[in-house]
Amino acid sequence: MSSKSMEILNKQRLLRPSSPHFTIYQPQLTWIASIFNRATGVALSALLYGFSLAYLAAPTTFDSAHIIEVVAGLPDAVKYAGKFVLALPFAFHSLNGVRHLAWDMGKFMTVKGCYISGYAVLGATAVSTLAMVFYV
Amino acid sequence: MQSLLPRTLPRFSRSSRALHTTARRFQAAPTAKPVLLKEFKIYRWNPDEPAAKPHLQSYKIDLNQTGPMILDALIKIKNEVDPTLTFRRSCREGICGSCAMNIDGQNTLACLCRIDRAGNDTKIYPLPHMYIVKDLVPDLTLFYKQYKSIQPYLQNDNPPEREHLQSQADRKKLDGLYECILCACCSTSCPSYWWNQDEYLGPATLMQAYRWIADSRDTYGEARKEKLQNEMSLYRCHTIFN
Repeated sequence: MSSKSMEILNKQRLLRPSSPHFTIYQPQLTWIASIFNRATGVALSALLYGFSLAYLAAPTTFDSAHIIEVVAGLPDAVKYAGKFVLALPFAFHSLNGVRHLAWDMGKFMTVKGCYISGYAVLGATAVSTLAMVFYV
Repeated sequence: MQSLLPRTLPRFSRSSRALHTTARRFQAAPTAKPVLLKEFKIYRWNPDEPAAKPHLQSYKIDLNQTGPMILDALIKIKNEVDPTLTFRRSCREGICGSCAMNIDGQNTLACLCRIDRAGNDTKIYPLPHMYIVKDLVPDLTLFYKQYKSIQPYLQNDNPPEREHLQSQADRKKLDGLYECILCACCSTSCPSYWWNQDEYLGPATLMQAYRWIADSRDTYGEARKEKLQNEMSLYRCHTIFN
């Protein structure tokens, strides 16, 4: 291509829009589970690092006895909601992590396998979350 | 002589002009098909007016006067409603890969995707996260460059005198790999490819890279694998499986 036509083409290329992606792509178990895995991973890490740093900074306010005192004083509804908010990401991330390890070993590498393992993880997450909220 | 014929013989008619009356029983009158309107919302962007934002334009067509596939609908719209609608197409049978686009949220070939005859509208977008040349036409230059970069041809330093012999078992390893028509549907559905298009190769190119590594006639397997040994080309894959 001559340099004059390349110039015109590159000028046009600068103006081109990028087509929409996650806003229009059909929500599917595959990518919804994947982004949820990443989001729960970030949230759980933030909690872990946040708590560790807070404990380093102020060991007396964040030690076990003090935390138990504060939580015990909260109304029941808040306690159950809090347990739910902590249990769900933990359960999902751990179980989906196992699914990821299975993929790394070459298992469930078909569309069917991906969906069956995905639904199994969702079911197991629901069961474990309920178990953790009400029985632990 | 007619009166000598026995009365029991059936006679169609005495008149020689009877054909149109007696033939009525044998001709099928064409039944008019009811009008079945369907709305298509199609992504439009015109490079001649680059400042105008891309938008969805709505078209209604009669499905009973259209072929069964989305490509038939697009061609009907272009022929009868709006000739400025632009899209790629060629074989109309799912082998060339030109008409790849996002239909109702999933990347597929328009010539193979049946129109959903139920009431609601169908949204047609170009392949996700690609630079758009016009309407539904994406710029696939980078995609083809990435394909070229994996050296998709047989490389063998000691070619045999005549044919490269290959056992049936070895040939079977290529089944499922060689059929790729490079339509870009898979790569453009990968979120990792959306975010790292310039460096991550994407599923289509990676599968073809494997196709050449797996080919028993090719001796450059190690070199091909070495080329993928960096942070971005291969290892941006997070097994999302979209």
